[in-house]
Amino acid sequence: MSPGRIAPVVAALSVQMTLHLAAQGAAPAALPGTARAAAPYDITGYWVSEVTEKWRYRMLVPDKNDYQQVPLNPEGRKLASAWDPARDQASGEACKSYGAAALLQVPGRLHITWQDDSTLRLDTDSGTQTRLFRFALPQGQGAPGESRGSGPALATATPSWQGQSAAMWGGGEPRDRRDGQGGPTQDSTGRLVVTQAQRMEPDYLKVVTTRMRPGYLQKNGVPYSADALLEEYFDTFSDPYTRNTWLVVTTVVTDPRYLIEPLIMHAHFKKLPDASGWDPTPCRADEPR
Amino acid sequence: MRAALLSIVLLVLASGPAGAQVDLAGEWSPRVYNTHVDIGDYTGIPLNEAGRLRAEAWHPDQVDLPENLCRPHPIDHGLRVSVSQLRITPEVDSDTRRAVGIRLHVAWQEPEQVIYVDGRPHPSVNAPHKWSGFSTGRWERNTLVYTTTHLKEAYLTRTGVPKSSQATVTTRVHRYGNLLTFVFNINDPAYLTRPYIRASSWVLDPNQVIPPFPCEITPDGTIVPAGKVPSFLPGRNDVLSEFATEYGIPLEAALGGEETLYPEYIKKMKTMKVAPRTTTEHYRRAQ
Repeated sequence: MSPGRIAPVVAALSVQMTLHLAAQGAAPAALPGTARAAAPYDITGYWVSEVTEKWRYRMLVPDKNDYQQVPLNPEGRKLASAWDPARDQASGEACKSYGAAALLQVPGRLHITWQDDSTLRLDTDSGTQTRLFRFALPQGQGAPGESRGSGPALATATPSWQGQSAAMWGGGEPRDRRDGQGGPTQDSTGRLVVTQAQRMEPDYLKVVTTRMRPGYLQKNGVPYSADALLEEYFDTFSDPYTRNTWLVVTTVVTDPRYLIEPLIMHAHFKKLPDASGWDPTPCRADEPR
Repeated sequence: MRAALLSIVLLVLASGPAGAQVDLAGEWSPRVYNTHVDIGDYTGIPLNEAGRLRAEAWHPDQVDLPENLCRPHPIDHGLRVSVSQLRITPEVDSDTRRAVGIRLHVAWQEPEQVIYVDGRPHPSVNAPHKWSGFSTGRWERNTLVYTTTHLKEAYLTRTGVPKSSQATVTTRVHRYGNLLTFVFNINDPAYLTRPYIRASSWVLDPNQVIPPFPCEITPDGTIVPAGKVPSFLPGRNDVLSEFATEYGIPLEAALGGEETLYPEYIKKMKTMKVAPRTTTEHYRRAQ
């Protein structure tokens, strides 16, 4: 094939690539080796809740003691039955139902951005909250002894409504050898050897949050404690019917103090083209959002 | 130059869908919650007018008709409501012994769903419809994505919100360690104004035993008088508003619709009429 015939092909590919990059947004390129550069998909942008599940628990403030979908233990039930929204509002505790464990259940809009190449920032208009998802810094970066997302620094952080969140791209486990794509092998000592090529491609965001101030899983005072562990899995996909882009978050709350077993919740968000409809509100103890 | 072109072609091919990535096989214990258990609770469902009319005609005694006593849930609903212990096994072609997909087995009424990932096409539109439909899937990285067609006419909730035989369901299956999540995207042009997304999760439980599910159909007339099909005529459903009244929800909001799914609707509800509440302890019935 002559260069003259190849040039249009290369040009077309180049145009396609440019259009593709433009569609991803005009943010500056991420540094190689960073969490941002490794992102399997673009989670940034504006998103709006689509409340198709637990509607009456989310679009309204449920009645006191209505916690039939939460595996509360007796201590948790006792606390839930003492819920007093007026007291929370008056004592400056109105944000208890906007803590990390419940924030994505509150109907509203999200704005997700890269604060830096290793930190995703999630802002909500409901309750005007900010969560930071910190990825581990690439080896050799960061101050000596600095720990992001895990380790001693996290363990000593002051508890807050949004806690401390460690993020990672999940799904990069070793391949299953049975699928014929080349899984891990064993060395001469029998030790499993897993190269990067033998790992699957990460395809979701996992966020683990601790150090949260005690808060509410529902607006009606269903409690979680300072011991709670929050695990979240973020996935995006394009809807084959409408071509909308969706964000689905599966949330697991483990709280040995108030829950009999981990509570699993889901929240769905539709991607928006811009900030239209963004409606910042303060935390309110007696309102759904 | 040919080598360069070949490289480009290989690069493009390499970015295509991969084969099986994640082992989904095993016993999975449900962590699902029964919702929409009240008549007149269509909350969060993007129902259209036809869907709402059809739902309002449903009578709870219909479940006691002989033809309904042992009828399985439609598979997407059966995976979502109790009792939904789930077993996933590889599906192997009996002749070639090749893996062609995965098989789901659900506890309630023991429906089975095979999800083919071997590239076979869906059958003709005239092929029979089944409770589990016909499903084909593909792997998107570590996520199994499958589409189910040929579903029988059934329902979205156990309280009569309908789903037509035109509905297709696209499902995404994620395995997050020992957690399994199904995200259902239901498209029903007959009864929904837009696709309806909902999700359910399971936890790996290798020791789970799914018992047999024997079911006996009682003779016609045993529970419901023979020949009678209980239903409400349009506008005659005298229990339709009970859910809204007991939870303090505007009736219009309780009956669903696309507008009700979004945060803006909270403000709108404040301007709507709410019937005086008769109780604030309705939830205790199901707790």
